[in-house]
Amino acid sequence: MRCSSAVLAAAFALAAAGAGAQDPARIKIDSYALPNGLRVQLVEDHSSQVVAVDLWYDVGARNEVAGHTGFAHLFEHMMFQGSKNLKKVEHSSLIERAGGRDNASTQYDVTNYFEFLPSNRLNLALWLEAERMRGLNVTPEGLKNQVEAVKEERRLRVDNQPYSKAIWEGTLLAFDSKNCFGYGHSLIGSMAELDAAKVEDVQAFFKMYYAPNNVTLTVVGDFNPAEARKFIEEYFGGIPRQPAPPPVVCDQKLHTGAMRQQMTDDKATLPAVIALYHVPSTSSADLPALELLSTILGSGESSRLNKVLARDTKAALAAQTLLNPFGPRRGPGMLIGLAIANQGVGVDSVEKLLTREITQVAQTGVTTEELTKAKNQYRAGKMEERQRAFALAEAVQFANTYLGSPDAVNTDLERYAKVTVDDIKRVAASYLTADNSLTITIVPEKK
Amino acid sequence: MRPTLVTLAFAATAIATTAGSLSAQTFPTTPPAPMPVKAAQFPPFQEATLPNGMHLLVVENRKLPVLSVELAFPAGSVYDAANKAGTADAVAALLTKGAGKRTAEEFAAAIEGVGGSINAGAGPDFLTVSANFLSADAPFAMGLVADAVMRPVFADKEVELVRTQTLSALQLEQSQPASIASRFFAKGLYGQHPYGRRATPATVKAITRADLVAFQTSRLRPGGALLVLAGNISLAKAKELASSAFAGWKGAAPAPLVFTMTPARTTTEILLVHRAGSVQSNILAGNLTWGPGDARAYGAAVANQVLGSGSNSRLFLILREQKGWTYGAYSSFSRVKGIGYFQSSAEVRTEVTDSSLAEMLAQSKRIGTEAIPAKEYDDAKSAVVGHFPLEVETAAQVASQVARARQLGLPNDYVQTYRQKLAAVTSAQATAAAAAGIKRDASYIVVVGDGAKIYDKLKAIAPVKIVNVDGEPMKPEDLIVKASSLDIDLASLAAQSDSFTVLFQGREIGAQVSKLEKVAGGWKWTENTAIPMAGVQQNTTLTFTDALEMQEVHQAGSQGGQQAKVDISYAGGRAKGKATTPSQAGPKTIDVDTEMPKGSIDDNAMQPLMSAMRWRAGAKLPVSILQSGKGSIAVMTLTVTGEEKVKVPAGEFDTWKVEGTGGETPITFWVTKGMPAKVLKIVPGGAPISVERVR
Repeated sequence: MRCSSAVLAAAFALAAAGAGAQDPARIKIDSYALPNGLRVQLVEDHSSQVVAVDLWYDVGARNEVAGHTGFAHLFEHMMFQGSKNLKKVEHSSLIERAGGRDNASTQYDVTNYFEFLPSNRLNLALWLEAERMRGLNVTPEGLKNQVEAVKEERRLRVDNQPYSKAIWEGTLLAFDSKNCFGYGHSLIGSMAELDAAKVEDVQAFFKMYYAPNNVTLTVVGDFNPAEARKFIEEYFGGIPRQPAPPPVVCDQKLHTGAMRQQMTDDKATLPAVIALYHVPSTSSADLPALELLSTILGSGESSRLNKVLARDTKAALAAQTLLNPFGPRRGPGMLIGLAIANQGVGVDSVEKLLTREITQVAQTGVTTEELTKAKNQYRAGKMEERQRAFALAEAVQFANTYLGSPDAVNTDLERYAKVTVDDIKRVAASYLTADNSLTITIVPEKK
Repeated sequence: MRPTLVTLAFAATAIATTAGSLSAQTFPTTPPAPMPVKAAQFPPFQEATLPNGMHLLVVENRKLPVLSVELAFPAGSVYDAANKAGTADAVAALLTKGAGKRTAEEFAAAIEGVGGSINAGAGPDFLTVSANFLSADAPFAMGLVADAVMRPVFADKEVELVRTQTLSALQLEQSQPASIASRFFAKGLYGQHPYGRRATPATVKAITRADLVAFQTSRLRPGGALLVLAGNISLAKAKELASSAFAGWKGAAPAPLVFTMTPARTTTEILLVHRAGSVQSNILAGNLTWGPGDARAYGAAVANQVLGSGSNSRLFLILREQKGWTYGAYSSFSRVKGIGYFQSSAEVRTEVTDSSLAEMLAQSKRIGTEAIPAKEYDDAKSAVVGHFPLEVETAAQVASQVARARQLGLPNDYVQTYRQKLAAVTSAQATAAAAAGIKRDASYIVVVGDGAKIYDKLKAIAPVKIVNVDGEPMKPEDLIVKASSLDIDLASLAAQSDSFTVLFQGREIGAQVSKLEKVAGGWKWTENTAIPMAGVQQNTTLTFTDALEMQEVHQAGSQGGQQAKVDISYAGGRAKGKATTPSQAGPKTIDVDTEMPKGSIDDNAMQPLMSAMRWRAGAKLPVSILQSGKGSIAVMTLTVTGEEKVKVPAGEFDTWKVEGTGGETPITFWVTKGMPAKVLKIVPGGAPISVERVR
């Protein structure tokens, strides 16, 4: 191990010298809106014959109100169940026949729908997305069927996995469910409330949130801009605008004092600890430093938590950190450290080690080598992302939603490159403190 | 882990009527037709040969500061010595596990530190090292690649680790019917040609460090090597980079080996691989085709899309959607440096094995004899032509496609013109290619399944040869599960109380405690296993009579967070009850109602009864067992394969080494010599786990 650190340091120096010397070309984004409010972002890129169509609807779990939790995600399922001119799952079948792929996902802040396919089928993807935005087939049977599909998904992802409930639901305790209901309730929702959902509820939700003025359409790849504009106008232009949805209100205070919660888990066989720290919204200038710190602390074999908790003290079977595990947010977020105790190790000693590693950064900071490595990994990840039309479309959407403008995709890397070891120490002191935390201890349920 | 809710498009459900429709005079009611396919603007390659013989191919793309590398050598598994199959794979696995001055861990940390990746793998013809990194890090990362291929360490510790992992994987394969089928299929198609060869535990054990070094020094040489660089680099810079990274490396291309091809088959033949108790059959059917440059490959690609690629194809729609015989059925053409092959495959329920095979063969014939309806043809061609751009989107994908085309000796413009040539295929050409490439009447067919249930029906389709999973020939009469009288010395059966520790790579991760007690008229066996790290907790109680007739088994516990429960009663020659076992889709419960051939035992009885079995050198003891979790009977063969001195926490003992095959997974036991015997150590196949006696 001795020789490696010298070699590594040399490598970092080399990489640091190289970084910045070759920044990627600026991405040109043509942004405009249709009269019905549909926002469009076009990024022409002929380096491959692929085109990605990516729609971000400005709706997610945070828009749900008490009594109707889980609707945003249920709705994502309904979007594949057919529309006026399409039978159920025909959308995906047509994309597959064109040689492409499609999918969707629901987060707290947004729900995205996307296709990536050969560029001569851009018209197909746009037509399919417009077709389902124009109106869905919703029947009591179809609705019931998808409620069952969501329940099955919940069983698989939440109920049947050890520690999953603590991450999905335990972490909600950190949020003020009264003044910040949007982030203070479960994304997958209440099964009872989903059971009670009526066709009219679904239609009302669709009308309010699946309107052209509540979505941003991004097209990236190999297309002719004039042609793309023509298709978009033809397919989406006739869809009527709807009144704007009500704003999301969230009044979440930071530093409200240390919170603790103990949970039992009948799927777990070893105790575990989650240390959650409130962090500001994704648009905050502090986020790049927090994200790099999260990488240094708990991402990969050579991260601090893995080294100290798993390898040196052997207190933990595994340890890692996650920044906003449910996706980025315009509201308050979270950085969580998670450690699963090794056999025979008490949950208290794991908790002590975990919180010590995280909170001591405020005093001792991180090394330049650690920071350079985290930046290198971030930068390489971003470059990989820019090679694929769909990943770039997501990055442009991200910039638009969380950083204020689609063009911010061009300055995002710089925000990370500028982070210093002092910044890391400062954000650690600001957010990774006991009075800003929720500690969840998870103990296996006695059988 | 990123728990956003991604819903697969295929979520399934009911049909619906229209709601919320709106006026849309101008909106087209049918999907738009495709726009014209443009000519590819695939960047041209530039080539150069370095003084040391290494051939350099550069695909320059300045869009992003990234670089992807493929470095390929004619060093695939065909060059393994026949008795050391697995050598090329082991060399590939070890190149990055310590090279130059770095240990395995240091090597991994070095490439991760710059946010890059380096991987190596061996195929049948070539060994390839792939790397991705930012172009600014090129000198450093190429230095690591050069270390890997020029200066691998092959440290004993790493060699043994790779050997252990490979042996575990091979053992696991022996329990997976799809892997068993593909092994026999390759052997049947290619015969003595090295393409038909696969590594076995014996060949992997025979490989020495010296073999690995010899393979690396004789086949990984600059002469004959192909280095593809795709991304942010010019030919001139690439030459500089390669010359400096591979400085001082010399060596002419290794002599090409010429292999004689197996003569083409003239009739259809079925190999039935008997796997007692299988509830499904794995079918593979196919034939050899043509060399990699054959022009019929384009037509065959379109025909195959119609026949068996994806969820809109005939095999999938007929076998799965219409008949419900299988979860999926597919077909494909495979290309290698020599003669390639066609195969169709499906995993089907035992009862419909013959119907499924007959349908697969009928569709394989039809695709080459009947014109494809226009709409079906257009859809298929559009899918296969359309998908190609998605395979050459990133620098890494481009490097890999270009390297592969060059390795196979395809024309220089192959990647650039692939899509146009596919688009130009006519329906008649597709049919003709299918007729030439898919030989219904000269197919080799492998069926892995329960021979007792499927042999007679398969005979009606084509002549059938039968083998067991180890490849030993069997006669039809061997398929019937016979009353196996257990070779047991009842007098040696005695009350016992045992304690075992469970080790994972030598580290203690759990415990097993068991007890055999005498009760009125019979025996009671209780066992408690706990492996917290793997989420395993299981309590078993089994009762059986003095005459070794099974009575009841009750098992409860959890595995990986899922409940597991078995409750079975044995009476009147049948096993009846319920079994809940974990599966990927959550716990699965089956009703058990199975006939117990005379002498059959519950699989949980194996451990207590082993203490009274008559072990001796060369013994081969068949045991008919009910796999209680599956509710089916299997015949397990316990073979004494050696004598070993074994040290476990309870002490050191002289033992018989016993290998058990034919069950759900292969398993090795070590039992003490002398009666009653004691089970000392158990190693299940496919996992780096051992169970060792504490007392």
